Amino acid sequence: SRRYDTKTNAFSSDGRLMQVENALEGINQAGSSIGILTDEGITFACERDVSSSLLELSKHSEEIFCLDRHVHCVVSGLAADANLLIEVSRVHSQRFRYSYRENIPIQELVRHVCDIKQRYTQVGGQRPFGAAFLFGGWDKTFKFQLYSSDPSGNFAGWKAIAIGKNHVAANSFLKENYQEGMTMTQGLDLAVKALCKTIDTTNPSPDKLEIMYMTKNEAGELVAKTLNEKEVLELLQRNNFQVKQKE
Amino acid sequence: MSIFDYNGGGIVAMKGKNCIAIGADRRLGQQMKTVSTNFKKIFRMQDNILLGLGGLATDIETFSAEMEYKLNLYNLRENRKLKPTAFVSLVSSTLYEHRWGPYFVSPIVVGLQDGTPVISTYDSIGCTTDTENFAVAGTAGELLYGLCETYYREDIPAEELVEIIGQILLAGCDRDALAGWGGVVYLLTTDNLHIRELKTKQT
Repeated sequence: SRRYDTKTNAFSSDGRLMQVENALEGINQAGSSIGILTDEGITFACERDVSSSLLELSKHSEEIFCLDRHVHCVVSGLAADANLLIEVSRVHSQRFRYSYRENIPIQELVRHVCDIKQRYTQVGGQRPFGAAFLFGGWDKTFKFQLYSSDPSGNFAGWKAIAIGKNHVAANSFLKENYQEGMTMTQGLDLAVKALCKTIDTTNPSPDKLEIMYMTKNEAGELVAKTLNEKEVLELLQRNNFQVKQKE
Repeated sequence: MSIFDYNGGGIVAMKGKNCIAIGADRRLGQQMKTVSTNFKKIFRMQDNILLGLGGLATDIETFSAEMEYKLNLYNLRENRKLKPTAFVSLVSSTLYEHRWGPYFVSPIVVGLQDGTPVISTYDSIGCTTDTENFAVAGTAGELLYGLCETYYREDIPAEELVEIIGQILLAGCDRDALAGWGGVVYLLTTDNLHIRELKTKQT
């Protein structure tokens, strides 16, 4: 069956799509991302893939992307592949808004991206996208939602999920420690603990982590906030991590 | 009868001292029949940019939606806000995109760029005019011009500008059968956006 993975869209003799599985393998080597759904909202925590002092810090995040005012996503995998799909999602969301003057339902947006991913597993002889996403947002039908999608084009809704490096360990940690009815603070604590499980070091440094959350403020408006370095530091310290201070 | 006169309307915008005001009537008609008295003709595109539209009502709605579409994508891709002067150009290029099947609108863009007021008007296919003082649009446009010329002076303070625009709008639209039925004035200063609704007869 090794001979069958050269054609991306062909089944191997044991009924598997080798290219899709290879793509999934690639993602399991990439920087991890955690998503947690609580009653108060959604939190994302990710590990920065590349953290070099030579890197010009872009003004915005490397891993966390706003797709529209009510939905964000985080990426694990090939950044270039992800960027393309993010652009596709943004345009799709705006087109929906143009037609219906409403926020796009989260599931519709996720489905649209996943349909494109699936196409590359069946049609054309091109490789699949090497990117997995966690989508999080709010809509009036299902309130706060958390979805993951992978290169096969499959997606699922979650209460808590980890993708990327060491996701098996992180997911079993989440399974043991997730509770219904958590507050946002508890969600952030859980996310950062799960993320630190996936990172090789026991002394996490704030510049390697990106953490954000989406919640509703007192006025009932949806707000999205990315924690700055100081806030990440506080979060780590609150969870009793020995933090490696950067110079 | 012109397609621009089918729904009716009156929009007026004026520069002030580090502030800008734009006012519009609220009528939506089908020729002589009034169909609505709270039709929106001024759209808040960004904290410091307002778009007022005269002309065919369906195009007012669709064109403002298309501008919002483009502006949102700009914000998402560039991760920053649009400058008023950039928005002025965006409106012009969008109008020209439909050169051979245009939007029947008369847009007025109003903004504050680093505290400096910006007003631009266009024809329906994107010819931009950056005005120094005031701009008008709609069926009541010519009527509003006269009042603008009378009441305009340089550096009008914000509180006075709101009053002036309100008076100009009411008086100008009074003379036009197709414009009126209430009014709304948006005052944009560096601190905030103040919206005032004007009461007219029969509102």
